[in-house]
Amino acid sequence: MNRSVSITVTSGKGGVGKSTTVASLGLGLAQLGYRVCLVDTDIGLRKLDLMLGLENRIVYDLVDVIEGVSTIRQSLVRHKEYNDLALLPAAQTRYKEEVSPSQVQAIVDQLRSEFDYILIDSPAGIEGGFRNAIAAADRAILVVNPEIPSVRDSDRVIGLLESANIQRIDLIVNRVQPGMVRDGDMLSVERVQSHLAINLLGVVPEDKRIIRSSNTGEPVILDSKSLAGKAFSNISRRLIGEDVPFMELESSTIITRIKRLFHIA
Amino acid sequence: MAFLNMFSRDKDEPTAMTADDRLSLVLSYQRSDIDEKKIKQFRVRLIELCDDFGYDVVGQVEVIPQSKDRKTIINATIPVKLKEPI
Repeated sequence: MNRSVSITVTSGKGGVGKSTTVASLGLGLAQLGYRVCLVDTDIGLRKLDLMLGLENRIVYDLVDVIEGVSTIRQSLVRHKEYNDLALLPAAQTRYKEEVSPSQVQAIVDQLRSEFDYILIDSPAGIEGGFRNAIAAADRAILVVNPEIPSVRDSDRVIGLLESANIQRIDLIVNRVQPGMVRDGDMLSVERVQSHLAINLLGVVPEDKRIIRSSNTGEPVILDSKSLAGKAFSNISRRLIGEDVPFMELESSTIITRIKRLFHIA
Repeated sequence: MAFLNMFSRDKDEPTAMTADDRLSLVLSYQRSDIDEKKIKQFRVRLIELCDDFGYDVVGQVEVIPQSKDRKTIINATIPVKLKEPI
């Protein structure tokens, strides 16, 4: 790989699965042999450390680097299994206003020489924290839930990303429930994509195993039984340019097949 | 029936029938910074425009913004008939 790529994962609305996405895609890219750094810019409300099971290993954080208390190298926390995956954690007891977009950009520029992919986890909202997160982005991934408040916020975020001259914006539709879509109770992925009019990078089904994964600190991509994990694995491969077909979102058990036969599922 | 209607009388009409229509409406309002006041002014101007072109408006004028491929389309329904010659 010739050039390091920085990608901001954002959404506008909170709770749509940004940090879950960053943790899983980071691991996915590391599994594919790339050197990956995850930067948590959600200062005051960090999560990525928990998602990766690295919360006990943090000594220094992003704000320490900015204030010159530590170097970037001292602040990076390496993953236990995948040494090519590192986390630059956010400070937990500071405020977003203490960091400026140019400071984040300077840090990301320094990381470029050491990593192939830099994934930046954006905080919810469109204020200062969001500005910090997009300052150094070459590309952006928008995580959206198939519900109107999430799509409306994302539409606003697309406008802001375009004004910031981020040309490539990809879409991940997360927490899709095929049964609800079939019953007309949830927006379909096609309709969400059609309204937002950006490239669809992946579709992740709702999966109870994600709750387990965030509680255990093992990203869902490591869970071989999880459909969401499989979806994130496919997205990682699409990120590096592989042509991966979109998978069937419902696991087809004998019971679901019988239910479908009798039109009760 | 009248008894049952008592419970539904005060309910507002839904802004759109399906989630997709509602999303389209919500996005078009956001993208073009349209609000109810602007739509009302739009309606008044359309009626004036019809008058200028020799038409009488004979029913409810509807102005409905819709969103498609990140563009907003303003659909107007204006029931008219030619003005009677005086």
